Amino acid sequence: MSHQHKHAYTQRDGFTIDYGREAEHEIVKIQTKIAQYAHIENQYPTRWLAIKLLEEDSDIKMRLQVLEGGKEILTHAEKSIAHLEKIYNDDVDVIIADYRYGWINGLVKETVKRTHENRLTGSDKADKIVTHRLLGIPIFLLLMWAVFKLTADVSTPYLNWVDSVISGPITRWATEIIRVLGLSATWIESLIVDGIIAGVGGVMVFVPVMMFLYLALALLEDSGYMARAAFVMDRLMHVLGLHGKSFLPMLVGFGCTVPAIYATRTLENEKDRILTGLLVPFMSCGARLPVYVLFAAIFFPENASTVIFGLYILGILTAIVIGIILKNTLFKDKEASTFVMELPPYRLPTLRAIWFHIWERTGSFIRQAWTIIMATSIILWFLMAIPTRGNSKFNEADINDSAFASLSEKISPILTPLGFGSWEASSALISGFVAKEVVVSTMGQVYAVDDAADTTAESTTFFEDIGEIITSFLRATADTIKSIPLVIGIDLFEEEVTEEPTALMQTVHDGFEETSNGHGALAGMAFMVFVLIYTPCVTTIAAEKQEFGMKWTWVSIIGQLVLAWLMAFVVFQGGILLGLG
Amino acid sequence: MLNQVLNEISSSKNGLNLNELSHKLDIDRSALNGMIEFWVQKGRLVNDDAIEENSCSPERGGCGASCSGVDGCSFVMEMPKTYSLKKPNKTL
Repeated sequence: MSHQHKHAYTQRDGFTIDYGREAEHEIVKIQTKIAQYAHIENQYPTRWLAIKLLEEDSDIKMRLQVLEGGKEILTHAEKSIAHLEKIYNDDVDVIIADYRYGWINGLVKETVKRTHENRLTGSDKADKIVTHRLLGIPIFLLLMWAVFKLTADVSTPYLNWVDSVISGPITRWATEIIRVLGLSATWIESLIVDGIIAGVGGVMVFVPVMMFLYLALALLEDSGYMARAAFVMDRLMHVLGLHGKSFLPMLVGFGCTVPAIYATRTLENEKDRILTGLLVPFMSCGARLPVYVLFAAIFFPENASTVIFGLYILGILTAIVIGIILKNTLFKDKEASTFVMELPPYRLPTLRAIWFHIWERTGSFIRQAWTIIMATSIILWFLMAIPTRGNSKFNEADINDSAFASLSEKISPILTPLGFGSWEASSALISGFVAKEVVVSTMGQVYAVDDAADTTAESTTFFEDIGEIITSFLRATADTIKSIPLVIGIDLFEEEVTEEPTALMQTVHDGFEETSNGHGALAGMAFMVFVLIYTPCVTTIAAEKQEFGMKWTWVSIIGQLVLAWLMAFVVFQGGILLGLG
Repeated sequence: MLNQVLNEISSSKNGLNLNELSHKLDIDRSALNGMIEFWVQKGRLVNDDAIEENSCSPERGGCGASCSGVDGCSFVMEMPKTYSLKKPNKTL
């Protein structure tokens, strides 16, 4: 095919486009045919109608068919189309559109004068750096590190404030209401305080952390950077032999794995789709973040944000390595798929849009706490209240003799080589199958039962509590403002802020130290790696079954469990061998 | 010109975006958008929506660990639009 674009921008009768000698010849022939039917000639401009017929415009063809002489014109046009297709070896509508765009491009070049500088927009100039082949990935990693620095460090004062409100005034008010109702020292009090408040409250404590995470992600998303991140990482995936589009669902997976599983539908090749579906759960979803924040604060208080950032990167690296292995074995496919990506221009995020993202996403997190987590907390409380050893009655037995402890003990030997072979840690991982937030709420129940009960001993009035909530909130706000410059390493206030570990943190710390023979930090790290890699929540499993079938769902469930165990084993045992903890 | 656009997309090895394509082929971005849409209508390019609408509907089990479900998933990020190359259906 040889399109003569130099002829395309030729003015005839004002704004008429020249479609090339052959096409123009056929247009004239069809126009002549149309002119034989005056009623059609009067109804439509003949050149326009001839071009539409060459383009096989279905609407025009339908209208013409019912007119007298219309069929004759259509037959004539079909002959012209067949003739042109033989000459150009392409569809006629493509030939016509090609000349049309050639004319448009020529017009733009002749009328819009651009210097080298103004040919590049601000977005283009920024993209030269942000999507640069070498700089793109370090910039992506730097921004992700900033996200977790902001999330883990800046949110701490608010996290402590929510914790103090839940374990203080809210627990006291609940206990007081129970006392007024005459239910003190009954199993109902234990259910509410040790079950619901300890379980749901244990997750609600992390609401400020989630809000800061969603703030950081919303800033990246609304500024247009997330699209660039997808582009940069897509290019890396392509270089590694994986489908370039795989990283789009993976990026969605940072929020929640379920929509990420559905996002794999954008991959048209079934092998690529299943492979990406198997990799998506390695992206650490928001629900896992509370586990990291808790454990990083317990075992790595000085480097909490770096540890959390490292876990997210470990998730990405695991997905890439597993992806390369699977792509060269089970999913071997030589067919390469190509695509082009449209990057939106950079924008200044608006406060309203950012707040909308934070509100929507945090709202979902809180709704989850009051539904699935509350239901799970109640079920777990009953399992902890039922004695399976000794002669104790319901809700009177030691928690270590409960049905939940007996059940979890069956699993704990498998976890012993990983450094956290206690029934408490096992129980948190078992309940984590329901939803990953439940890992923390279960720990709140199995580790901190006594802590919640003790807070009821304090005696304050309702108005004193309200006053304390307000003043502690203001204190948390001031501390947060002070901590913002610390994200980039600037200490403006030169204050030594030392956070006292909560009772839950202390109990978890002691428990892990005991099960790991004094290697608590390594056991804590191994636990976080296990939570990162092991089987996702039941809703994700349901989505996997729906999208990829039962066979691949089982591959995902068992594969992730085995891989989680192996990676946690390497972290714990390898760490001991290297003398790291 | 239209076929050049398709050829560039099919021969791209390490990812390509429309801005780069516009500079490479010296085609104005607005004209390029029209060309892309033309190929989408012709069925040679497919406009991939990052997330299908209602992918979190209750019929599909709702959205997972922290999702509003019926109202759609608030965790779905705005992803860049992608256009994938399709093999031609018609051979002349």
